[in-house]
Amino acid sequence: MRSAYLVLAILGIVVLLPMAGLLNLSQLPGFEPQDLQFWHSAYIRRVVVFSFWQALLSSLLSVIPAVLVARAFAHTGDFPFRSLLLRLFGIPLVVPSVVAVLGIVSVYGSGGWIPLGRSLYGINGILLAHVFFNLPLAVRLLLPVWQGIPRHHWQLGEQLGFSKWHRWRYLEWPALREGLPGVLLLVFMLCLTSFAVVLTLGGGPKSTTLEVAIYQSLRYDFDPAQAVILALLQLSLCVLVAVAMFRFQKLPEVEISISSQAIESQNYRSLLNWAVIVFAGIFVGLPLASLLIDGLLGPLGRVVSNINIWRAAGNTLMLGLAAALLSNIAGWFLLRGSSELANQGHLKQAKLIELCGSVIYVVPPLVIGTGIFVLFSDYVDIFEWVYPVVILVNAMMGLPFVIRTLGPSMRQNRMRYEYLCHSLALDGWNRFRIIDWPLLRRPLGLSAALVAALAMGDLGVIALFGTPKTATMPLVIYQQLGAYLIPQATVTALLLLGLCLMVFWALERCIGGNQNA
Amino acid sequence: MKLIMRVTAVAFLCLYVPYAAQAASSPLVIYTYDSFVSEWGPGPQVKEAFEAQCDCVIEFTGLEDGVSILNRLKLEGKNSRADIILGIDTNLTAEARATGLFEEHGMTLDNSALPDAWEDDTFLPYDYGYFAFVYNQELLKNPPSSLRQLVENSQGPTILVQDPRTSTPGLGLLLWIKKIYGDQASDAWAKLSDRIVTVSKGWSEAYGMFLKGEADMVLSYTTSPAYHIIAEQDQRFAAAKFSEGHYQQIEVAGLVKSSQQKDLGRQFLQFMLSERFQSIIPTTNWMYPAALAASKLPQEFNALIDPSPALLFDDKIVARERKAWINEWLEVMSK
Repeated sequence: MRSAYLVLAILGIVVLLPMAGLLNLSQLPGFEPQDLQFWHSAYIRRVVVFSFWQALLSSLLSVIPAVLVARAFAHTGDFPFRSLLLRLFGIPLVVPSVVAVLGIVSVYGSGGWIPLGRSLYGINGILLAHVFFNLPLAVRLLLPVWQGIPRHHWQLGEQLGFSKWHRWRYLEWPALREGLPGVLLLVFMLCLTSFAVVLTLGGGPKSTTLEVAIYQSLRYDFDPAQAVILALLQLSLCVLVAVAMFRFQKLPEVEISISSQAIESQNYRSLLNWAVIVFAGIFVGLPLASLLIDGLLGPLGRVVSNINIWRAAGNTLMLGLAAALLSNIAGWFLLRGSSELANQGHLKQAKLIELCGSVIYVVPPLVIGTGIFVLFSDYVDIFEWVYPVVILVNAMMGLPFVIRTLGPSMRQNRMRYEYLCHSLALDGWNRFRIIDWPLLRRPLGLSAALVAALAMGDLGVIALFGTPKTATMPLVIYQQLGAYLIPQATVTALLLLGLCLMVFWALERCIGGNQNA
Repeated sequence: MKLIMRVTAVAFLCLYVPYAAQAASSPLVIYTYDSFVSEWGPGPQVKEAFEAQCDCVIEFTGLEDGVSILNRLKLEGKNSRADIILGIDTNLTAEARATGLFEEHGMTLDNSALPDAWEDDTFLPYDYGYFAFVYNQELLKNPPSSLRQLVENSQGPTILVQDPRTSTPGLGLLLWIKKIYGDQASDAWAKLSDRIVTVSKGWSEAYGMFLKGEADMVLSYTTSPAYHIIAEQDQRFAAAKFSEGHYQQIEVAGLVKSSQQKDLGRQFLQFMLSERFQSIIPTTNWMYPAALAASKLPQEFNALIDPSPALLFDDKIVARERKAWINEWLEVMSK
């Protein structure tokens, strides 16, 4: 439990200290805070309302269909290309926003396969892009819920002659109620902080999110105090939603079940389930396919033979893996603390710990990065710290993903084996090796893969500190786009996706073990 | 748990090894924007050419864009590592000068290719360009011949533009329309807004979407077609010449006051205005060099439209009014 509080303290320091640094900057001469009256401006009010609604709508439209898709996957059991398809579902997370925008335009733009014309720009485009990004993610996060329903529950259902509705009502829904609010919250945060996608596909400044306002105030306006206040506003908006979600969440009662082996294939195959899988596959696949085609038709040889691309690929890989490692270690201690508390009946505290770790994502990396810069640039050569800072910030951003994937399994494990471990005096490393690792390696593999993908696609912090030696693939893609090399950029994006797919495969395989995704 | 700790420690140690080997001599540090230092930008050639003559080492730091360069310098204040900053434009020079962090260059711009005389004591220009709407000549047969025609013809072409809050060309268009329409700028935006397909975050999104056929025209530079002609042998793209003239962007460099090697810095600024540096610019930055005779430009540049007269606000006016003008724009465009 102590380690959980330690992680929380570190998080607090990493988030709050830079903000304080920025606020303090406003006291210096030359940084007179401009009108703090901006609170009252219609602009900020409109931005807050718009950010909230588009995020809520986007997350509902992503997560509700994702429940159907995950259910279809769970009920259909194994089929050819199933694990490849599921791994593809981890990919949209890594696609840099500008590439995703171009992919969406290739499919739904006026010259695309399913032309929507001008009606693409506006709320339609925003929703399309957000569902493309988040539906597959939500499927990956929700699928383990079905795998977590013990086999004997299904058997009992069979014996009692459960109908489809009964199965949903008594087996699946109660299990979902634990995980769903967290997934909704995570997707809500991703949509709330969405920036380039919202601005570009939203059709104009009426589609402005808080993230844009924060960016604006840290750049042209260069008003750090305003940026911090807006960041705190975004954070509180998110905390409100988080509290609402956690109220809805129902943790399962303590149960000791012998069978921890989830049922792999329920074989409730039906035409409807197949249709749902095919439809979801097409929806997620189309923008990726357009990227694949553009990339394969592009100057493949010229990009592949460029040593700098591979150097950037190496950097990207290293950053992704390091962030995944750090994030999972931090998440592990945080969750261990919270599940211990939950086990002792301190549910509120347990939820509070998880909440702190979960909302961290909405603190803009730009604010943290600038704050860290302000705090430390006087004492150390910040350029030599680019990698560690980028890894730290990305690991922090990944923490909500770790909590989502690892949390439920961790809690179940605690409930099942707490007493056993006590009576056997299993502790520390042995407990990890014998009890935790075999059962938690699978969610660990998934969370490592997701955080790695997130970090590999990240541009924010690298671009902020900037130095040519640290080029990553997203940065190279932006450089190519800026130099009119749009075909080359598409090829590089394709390589990034390929790299991400490999990382997904490797992490899920090596950490997650030799089971299906 | 110990194992995990050890693994983490090793992982972090690995991160530091490459840094340990770095040389400790003091290079000429230049803050610039990212696309300048990328391997497709002027950076690598500039570095090689200058290092060959100065017996020194250039260290570029590529930041997101001009605004980021200035903000970085503001954050670092007098402790900045930078000797030179290169890459802010005339929309930022007044603000940059006001920080007091720059040293006067004390040089004269002899062979200026700029349309107007250069009178800035703090900053020296290295290249310039003009904003323009680029279109595909095969698809758009009758492009508008003036900004007024583009704005006022409600049946006119659809356009892609950038957001003035997040991008330089976006701010350029805002100033362009302000220059032509003055107090009526809001009405102009209102008329135009129906034909604006979308307002993108940056230039790359808009230009990529234009190439995918999302709109008839895209806000870019008069020199953009030169890229397609020279690098892709593609003659389809052209910039529409507007009779009122085109808004100008001049990119400048300046010497940082806290620099410990101002002589070397001045030597670089001299080099920046020399033919060697200037002739790298056209086909890497795709802009007009600020101090190179027109006869020495790649011949494809001569086929580009003549953007005169050049339109430009005084930098102090931009610094003073930018926020109000952006708010005015927001007001119209959010309806």
